[in-house]
Amino acid sequence: MNRIYFIIIALLCMIYIVNDIRKKRFSIKESFWWVMATLVILFLAIFPYSINWIAKQIGVEYPPSLLFVFCILFLIFINFKNSKRINENQMKIIELSQQLALLKEEAKKIHKK
Amino acid sequence: MKKDKVLLVIPAYNEEENIGKVLEEIKKDIQYADVLVINDCSKDRTREIVDEHHVNCINNIFNMKYAMAIQTGIKYAFEHDYDYVIQFDADGQHIAKEAEKLYKVAKSEQYDIVIGSRYLEDTGYKCPLFRRIGTKIFEILIKLFCRKRIADPTSGFQCLNKRVIKKYAQMGNYPEFPDANLIIEMLRGGYTIKEVPVKMRNRETGESMHGGIIKPIKYMITMFYTIVFIVISTPKVKGDKNE
Repeated sequence: MNRIYFIIIALLCMIYIVNDIRKKRFSIKESFWWVMATLVILFLAIFPYSINWIAKQIGVEYPPSLLFVFCILFLIFINFKNSKRINENQMKIIELSQQLALLKEEAKKIHKK
Repeated sequence: MKKDKVLLVIPAYNEEENIGKVLEEIKKDIQYADVLVINDCSKDRTREIVDEHHVNCINNIFNMKYAMAIQTGIKYAFEHDYDYVIQFDADGQHIAKEAEKLYKVAKSEQYDIVIGSRYLEDTGYKCPLFRRIGTKIFEILIKLFCRKRIADPTSGFQCLNKRVIKKYAQMGNYPEFPDANLIIEMLRGGYTIKEVPVKMRNRETGESMHGGIIKPIKYMITMFYTIVFIVISTPKVKGDKNE
């Protein structure tokens, strides 16, 4: 029964993402990792024992802990990506505002002439 | 009759070795068009060389990659009310004389987008096997989703009419790689596309956008992913000429 709840959650997430993309509130490029995460949830919901198998292969004794490790790694990955993106954007905004200030100065000069 | 305003958009990134030759060739062979170079924050002498040739040049403040540079050019064309835009590469692959072919077809046959194709006829263009396989896959995908054969969806040598200029200029989500995905989106949106066989030179110097091992893999994944979403999210509009 638990399975069905998780399948529903995964499907709802998917519908939410796809709907946002359709309405152009979210870009296709940015959605990639979230869709991948949803697909993993869906996969695990359909085949819950696959995590046991993976744990066995890697040699993890308590399979659920592996799930948490994956989740945390994924969140760190996304977080790091976002951090990098914020940094990039910040630099671009600074560059743009400086250029804008210079342009304004230039426009002022032309206006005065 | 009013004469058409045609703009040649040339995005350039670190092309100091090629851009001079390209601009000279254009000056010789395409007198009817205005030229706009988008210098995508090149680190070499591209900017100086373009200035020496006295053509319009927009210098991006930071490197925005090929697609965004193209879109900047298209926005310029939209603001200045151009009738046609011809996308032209700065690396010397495209031949200026062939641009007229695209423009003539776009004008006389009233197509929205005319693509200069390397593979439609045997034009003697050589390209690596992997690239050829990739192109074939996209050709099949376009055929599958739009029922139309586009043999060279990755060609950057295109002529766009006013309707497409407006659409691209106002597109908030202009894709990072405007290839098969954009063609599928436009075809499904009811825009008409025609391919014209053109000759192209093999690349002489400079670095390709899709070099290395990781970049092409990333490109293919992005492409497939984007195409899936475009097919889901754009309803099909019937275009009479495409059928």
